[in-house]
Amino acid sequence: MPEPTAGPPAPAPPPERDYIRFDLSQRIEHVILLLTFTTLAITGLAQKFATEPLSESIIRILGGIELTRRIHRLAAIILMAESIYHIVAVLYRIIVRRSRLTMFPVFEDFRHLLQDVLFYLGRRKRKAHLGRFGYAEKVEYFAVVWGTVIMAITGFMMWNPIATARLVPGEFIPAAKAAHGAEAILAVLAILLWHFYNVHIRHLNRSIFTGRLTREEMQHEHPAELAAIDSGGADPLPPQALIRRRQRVFFPIAAVFSAALLFAVYRFVTFEETAITTIPPAETAPIFLPQTPTPLPSPAPFALTRWAGDIEDLLAERCGACHGPAAMGGLELSSYAAALRGGNRGPAVVPGDPDASILVQIQEPGGHPGQLTETEIAGIIAWIRAGAPER
Amino acid sequence: MSPRLRLIVVLTLGAGSIFFLVSQVARAGPDAQGTGNDACLACHGQPGMVLTLENGEQVPLSIDRDAFAASVHGEQGFACVLCHTDLGDYPHPAFSAASRRDFNLQLYQACRPCHQPEYERTLDSVHERARAAGMSEAAICTDCHGAHDAPRMTNPESGIILPEARTRVAGTCARCHSAIYDKYRDSVHGSALIGEGNPDVPTCIDCHGVHNIEDPTTAAFRLRSPLICARCHTDPERMEPYGLSTQVLNTYVADFHGTTVTLFERLTPDAETNKPVCYDCHGVHDIQSIRDPEQGLLVRENLLARCQRCHPDATANFPDAWLSHYIPSADRAPLVYTVNLFYKILIPGVLGGMALVVALDLTWRVRSRLKRKAGGTEGPAAPSAPPAGEPPASPASTPTTEPPSAPGPMAAPAPAGEPPASTSSTPTMDPAAGPSPDDDASPAEEQEEGHA
Repeated sequence: MPEPTAGPPAPAPPPERDYIRFDLSQRIEHVILLLTFTTLAITGLAQKFATEPLSESIIRILGGIELTRRIHRLAAIILMAESIYHIVAVLYRIIVRRSRLTMFPVFEDFRHLLQDVLFYLGRRKRKAHLGRFGYAEKVEYFAVVWGTVIMAITGFMMWNPIATARLVPGEFIPAAKAAHGAEAILAVLAILLWHFYNVHIRHLNRSIFTGRLTREEMQHEHPAELAAIDSGGADPLPPQALIRRRQRVFFPIAAVFSAALLFAVYRFVTFEETAITTIPPAETAPIFLPQTPTPLPSPAPFALTRWAGDIEDLLAERCGACHGPAAMGGLELSSYAAALRGGNRGPAVVPGDPDASILVQIQEPGGHPGQLTETEIAGIIAWIRAGAPER
Repeated sequence: MSPRLRLIVVLTLGAGSIFFLVSQVARAGPDAQGTGNDACLACHGQPGMVLTLENGEQVPLSIDRDAFAASVHGEQGFACVLCHTDLGDYPHPAFSAASRRDFNLQLYQACRPCHQPEYERTLDSVHERARAAGMSEAAICTDCHGAHDAPRMTNPESGIILPEARTRVAGTCARCHSAIYDKYRDSVHGSALIGEGNPDVPTCIDCHGVHNIEDPTTAAFRLRSPLICARCHTDPERMEPYGLSTQVLNTYVADFHGTTVTLFERLTPDAETNKPVCYDCHGVHDIQSIRDPEQGLLVRENLLARCQRCHPDATANFPDAWLSHYIPSADRAPLVYTVNLFYKILIPGVLGGMALVVALDLTWRVRSRLKRKAGGTEGPAAPSAPPAGEPPASPASTPTTEPPSAPGPMAAPAPAGEPPASTSSTPTMDPAAGPSPDDDASPAEEQEEGHA
């Protein structure tokens, strides 16, 4: 929580002096918050509305969805670290400095809001008399606190869905995603409406960067605080010795506390291996596996033990085109008798003597039109050797 | 077998045969290509004509006259020489082929003159690429369509594939992809096609394409595959008879997995992502109905097993992290529904309140500016306000019209746990600050204009 103004009490302050509003560390915190929030909003909303053209352009510029997610998560880690720092810094102000909790919402804030509304409606002559932090600033601060807590919890669930599903029903994960996205919408719109209006449009308040407000600005925005400063009632620092004594206790505890929280963030990030990193196998069956037996348009093998139905059919198929009715070379192989008779060169088949059979003499060297296979020739030789039985 | 492996078909017909042939040609009359089919079939219509190739493999040269007549070409009366343009004369030109595959690879080019567009599409196919890479078995026209018995595939009027052809296609692909066919045959799609001839289910080519069949193992195919499934599964007409949801694509895209895949597909279509596509959960060729009592994904253990393929550490609750393609509702995902409802109230509530205050402030600023412009001659804006720059102690506005506000504003919040040092300072501050706020108001109102 911000530190109270450290202006020295002066009963009659010069009109043009500046009032310190934020110290350097607070201004740095704001810059970190500004950068991480913007990064998270851009990369997050692009994911929430991923299929919209604008989101697609953003994701393309950021180098793809995986890189966009990595940037989002990196910004989340930085914001978590910053939140830890902020918690410790607030504790320091409470425990060591014993500053007043000027950011803490009190009933007075509701009355200020009511007073302003009545003023706007013409039912009151002047606006609320605001102190160091008015209701507008408190709303914004606690919106950030609430938002960061919700985002961290739901973010953890999405980051570590398997661990989450061990503890709570699985539906918590899509619910976390819904809350994370809706909270983002709320946060961004609230910033655009409330924050931008109050510190950019209504009056461009640069104090979060410069750290200072002019007396005039103090009069407009924090009249009660200015009055307190003028009257010397601002938060005084405790004696230096007391601060040192408290620091000696606070710093070691804060160091352990910070280390524990940072370890929690580390665990947050590395809690589980959610998924395999390889591509899940698609079709595992062999792609090329011809049917067996491969259907082929080849003729069925012949049994070759006798003329009728065996040799007869084989020769009709292979030789029939020329040595059928056409009887090329005088040879006709359409009947047993014709085969024994042979053609112009002599008997095609000499029972018991394959070597004398012209059929074997012609077919064995190969190259004859209507060539028989080696198996078929071997079958015919065996048949002739066996006496070339007709039946 | 002769050691000389290069065999050439030389049919040396006797004089009788030649007369026979010539008489056949004369009887049939030459057609446009010069040679009638009867002339060819005089020899090739006889059974048992075989060509032995260089490696000893044999190719039948006999043509089944009836099978050809029943083919898509035969029924239109096409001539043999329409395809076999070099065989119109006898003796045929010399021909040699190293193997049966070589024989087919040479002859399938005959399809090209009439089917040039389809042929060109095949050049962009996974088969052509596999063949270029040295896998000569990769399919060519005749491997799928057959040669002389090529059946009709489409309705000649509409150009739409015939129902019986859809069934036949699966059997055709099975000739080389039998293991995949076996899975498909038992799948929810395959069993409906092969068993029942169901026209609603996809056959191979519905997903893989026809002639320019894409390599389905690439990252690009994987990324685009959900859109293939979606072609049917987002079609209400097709899904309605089976009671299937058509929200499967948009619910997938809305989820982490689908969002990633969709963006990859759009931005880097060739890049790999391990986020699942439809088939990673539902199966590739062995897709089962989710309602299947044995293997269906409605069975919790089956779904968990699917999750565990990519999330090995997932436990029993984990599958509920996926809403099973349901849009969150009070029945289906009450928690998600409640969260959405909560924010549907919270967001307008918070922003509405903020907008109201902003609008009031803005209205006041604009109005007081206009008033000041209009009343420029009359002097400063607010009639009740003292002139700007007046010292804050003006008693005019002091009358406490709103008494409660007087002690309020300057009583800086003093929560419990305040150290004694602070509390001691508070009383001193209160009386000092007391009078200032009330009197201070009007000038502040005036001056704030300057910042607006």
